[in-house]
Amino acid sequence: MILADFGTSYSKFLDLGAPTPQPSIVATRELPRNLRVDLATGHNGKRFGGRYLNELTALARGAEALIPEPSYLILDCGSRDIKYIRYRDGQLQDMGWNAECGASMGFTVELLERYYNLDFRRLPVPDKSFSVTCGVLGLSDIFDAITSGTDEAEAVARFVRGIAINAYRFAGSPAKLYLSGGLCDNPLFVKSFPCEVEPLGRFVLLAGLQHTLEHYPGNPA
Amino acid sequence: MPASELPTISEICHLLDSDKIRRLGIVGVPPLAVISTLNERRIEILDLDAMLIKADMESTVTILPRVYCAILRTVVLNAMHLELDAIVIDTGPGKCDSALYVATILADQLSIPVLKTVNLDNAPFGYPLCRSEMDLTEKFLAITEGVKTARRTGTAPPPCPPGAGFWGVPPRDFSILAPFPPTTHVYGWSRCMENKTPADLALEMHINPAIPTVFFAQSFCAKTALARHLARLHPRALALDIDVHTTSSAKAKIQAFLELSGVTA
Repeated sequence: MILADFGTSYSKFLDLGAPTPQPSIVATRELPRNLRVDLATGHNGKRFGGRYLNELTALARGAEALIPEPSYLILDCGSRDIKYIRYRDGQLQDMGWNAECGASMGFTVELLERYYNLDFRRLPVPDKSFSVTCGVLGLSDIFDAITSGTDEAEAVARFVRGIAINAYRFAGSPAKLYLSGGLCDNPLFVKSFPCEVEPLGRFVLLAGLQHTLEHYPGNPA
Repeated sequence: MPASELPTISEICHLLDSDKIRRLGIVGVPPLAVISTLNERRIEILDLDAMLIKADMESTVTILPRVYCAILRTVVLNAMHLELDAIVIDTGPGKCDSALYVATILADQLSIPVLKTVNLDNAPFGYPLCRSEMDLTEKFLAITEGVKTARRTGTAPPPCPPGAGFWGVPPRDFSILAPFPPTTHVYGWSRCMENKTPADLALEMHINPAIPTVFFAQSFCAKTALARHLARLHPRALALDIDVHTTSSAKAKIQAFLELSGVTA
């Protein structure tokens, strides 16, 4: 039984038939076209999955498996979009999925790191941030700041802090949030949130698929 | 435009009392007296808020900005392509400011009379369809069809306990309604529409906190603010705005929201 979260930039796999199942990551552009898995989620999931689970449902089920409290907010920041789910007393309260105006933030962060040869583990959180609503539009702020004499690393750090603040506001400005997705591995991004953050890593949706198999038989059909 | 510059309802009814007018377009919910006149004269009514033709929406960009309410863009598209003898547009609080501007633009662009009205009707007709058990798309078709008649709705299905809620205006793209169960109760302006009191803000703001509810507004519509406000007040809510077509992420949001709320179709 192979589970997979097919993201825009990276795909994550979990083979439940392995002796000690461990998640693995493959760049989505390197996936063979004829690949098929048993249960899939994610932006590209319907292309490769025998069965498909909605990304938001997978995120909620992953949170259900990993978070012990009955009231929480989980925020997933991926390459292409951001989404959150809020539970209160074990009951869904609200949710959001910003696939358009939050577009390409994670993807843009990765591009910037490579282009400017930066190491986000070493960059301090800047005092200022850009007002960023979209990865593409945010690039203009970076270029303008550099043109005005701001150091490249400082400009990119302001952008990263800006997308963290935008994601935080999109999620309703919570006092604490659980963070999911590839940006959990970016310390500058995680530290830029103006609230308590507990990173859960990039395999939360896989955990959601596994939890669904174990606790929601028949879903998805 | 000051209200004193608008034709009165009786003036509009007089203007419509002409053999030259056989086919008329409406936008929003015109006053009951106007609809009564149209019904009495057996004038064909076309609801220009609805998708009546398959022409390319891009043909409206010479008249309206591309980033604009998709329903009003649809109004313009219909008005550009349909053969009409006149148009009546509610430009008051029962519709929106943008309708006033669209009415002004259409009056300049078209060679037919474009009559602006303000519907402040407050006699409630009831909203049995909104509370009935019926496929949600069929329910909305019946509610929107009701705007063309001054009579009360015929035999509506009996009310049912609500399984979910849909708050908002009738969407431009009805495919958003497919995932909801037949027990979905309709709230917001759609309820005002069936009640024939489109400017009744208290009825529009009525919500049921006991059932998971999707708060819908068209993108770029002022009602997005009210949808988000009410969603914040509601304990189990999804605020959603959609532009011209229902995107796959919007459908996924609704599907996940209903599923995680324990609502079954």
